[in-house]
Amino acid sequence: MPQRPTSSLAACVWIPLFPLRCEEARREGLATHPTALLAPDLSRKLWQVSPLARHAGVRPGMTVSQAIGLCPTLRLCEPDPVHYDGCFARLLSALNEISPVIEAGELGLAYVGTDGMEGIFGSPGEIVDAIECVVRGAWCVRLGWARGKFASWVAASRAKPGEAVIVSSGGEVKFLASQPIAVLPLDPDTHRRLRQLGIRTLGVLAALPEEAVTAQFGAVGRRLWRLAAGHTVEPVVGGVAPEPIVAALTFFTPVGERDLLERALDQLIARALKDPRRIGWRVQAVRLVAEVEGGRSWLADLLLKDPTADAARIAAPLKTRLEQAPPAGAITRLVLELTAFAPGTTELQLFARDAVAAARAGQRRALESAAREIQLRLKRTCLYHVIEVQPWSRLPERRYALIDFEP
Amino acid sequence: MVAPARATLRADRLRAVNEPRLVAVELNADGLPMAIRRSKENSGGQETTAAVVEAILESWRIDDEWWRHPITRRYFEVLLEGGGRVVLFVDLVSGEWYVQTA
Repeated sequence: MPQRPTSSLAACVWIPLFPLRCEEARREGLATHPTALLAPDLSRKLWQVSPLARHAGVRPGMTVSQAIGLCPTLRLCEPDPVHYDGCFARLLSALNEISPVIEAGELGLAYVGTDGMEGIFGSPGEIVDAIECVVRGAWCVRLGWARGKFASWVAASRAKPGEAVIVSSGGEVKFLASQPIAVLPLDPDTHRRLRQLGIRTLGVLAALPEEAVTAQFGAVGRRLWRLAAGHTVEPVVGGVAPEPIVAALTFFTPVGERDLLERALDQLIARALKDPRRIGWRVQAVRLVAEVEGGRSWLADLLLKDPTADAARIAAPLKTRLEQAPPAGAITRLVLELTAFAPGTTELQLFARDAVAAARAGQRRALESAAREIQLRLKRTCLYHVIEVQPWSRLPERRYALIDFEP
Repeated sequence: MVAPARATLRADRLRAVNEPRLVAVELNADGLPMAIRRSKENSGGQETTAAVVEAILESWRIDDEWWRHPITRRYFEVLLEGGGRVVLFVDLVSGEWYVQTA
């Protein structure tokens, strides 16, 4: 198995509230209103809350009725995880132009390995500028540069939107010492215990003997102490793009009908996507080779506009090619190759395999299309959401409310 | 419930579901509903029809918001002649009758 590339110098690219930013990017005017995103599960609770909504007292985890009670002008958005995942994959692809060592964290958080990039871009400030250049147009990112992922993440979390914090080599310990303990990967209980002990900053934690922290908090405490003291430098670990993935189908009798060929193509794509080497990667380029009766051959080499793990999106341009420039004869063997890949995310893989999420996304699209049709014909909205207001109320008219459905 | 859709919801355009509708009710000597009077469609409220109450299936009382604007209602689930089921309530503060799906 090829060794994964690593880099101890790290640039952290962080876009807080990434899913909410994705919604704001595609809906004009949303950014100027208090907005909240519902959780992708069926709990109907708030997942992410914009700063304006937070200012009105709305918090993640609240129910819709609680949030509306606090902020009557709140705009609620249904989540679209597949879209967020696509946006994040494009961000990772853009970062890949700067460095081959990219590690994805949660949605909106990525690390760029910058070892040896001084020769290409220059100083850390210039490296950060180059990263900012490739992502600036679409997002307002916070950037941090330091040795190790943790210090770079802390630096990014301290940066103002659209700005960067650079921690010079050797300055990590001093930089970390003044940071609050909340930057550590803590569970709420450990956080509370540290605060009860009067430990508010990483410097105070690092000043304690390592053994004492380990005795009090166990292995977790030891890890936290080492992070706080700057002793742990976790490198950025990039992925290795897989070798081309090939799936082939030999026909017992030569096939000339386009329907049959398209069905065979669907099967090949499904088989290739299931290959374990593809996990964590989106398909960027694809090649379809056909062996035609009489020793001839046919080839379609395509670069996908957006890297994808969606079978239909991979199939669509190949089917168009089959339609527009079909092979000159019946086909005896069809070979599909996934030839280039772009990094994906853990979330991507979850969402891509999450049939429920995919089905919900499909239903939403169908519903939106139907609603637009109705609106066009009748000139007004005739569809409504039913939302819970006070489902516990003894007065029936208080339990639910209707709200216009606008696609 | 309508299947959730990925659209922005505006809380300022909420409209209540299942709001009570005022009805005229004929009462018996015990003050229990005997018939419901409804306006005929397209009559501008001039003509009415009466739906006779065949049986009172259930009755309950709600007292709420006594600390603000007291709400006191007595609900009746009634069976109408012909088989329809309707939920009525009398607002014990104003004495007006309403129909509502409980």
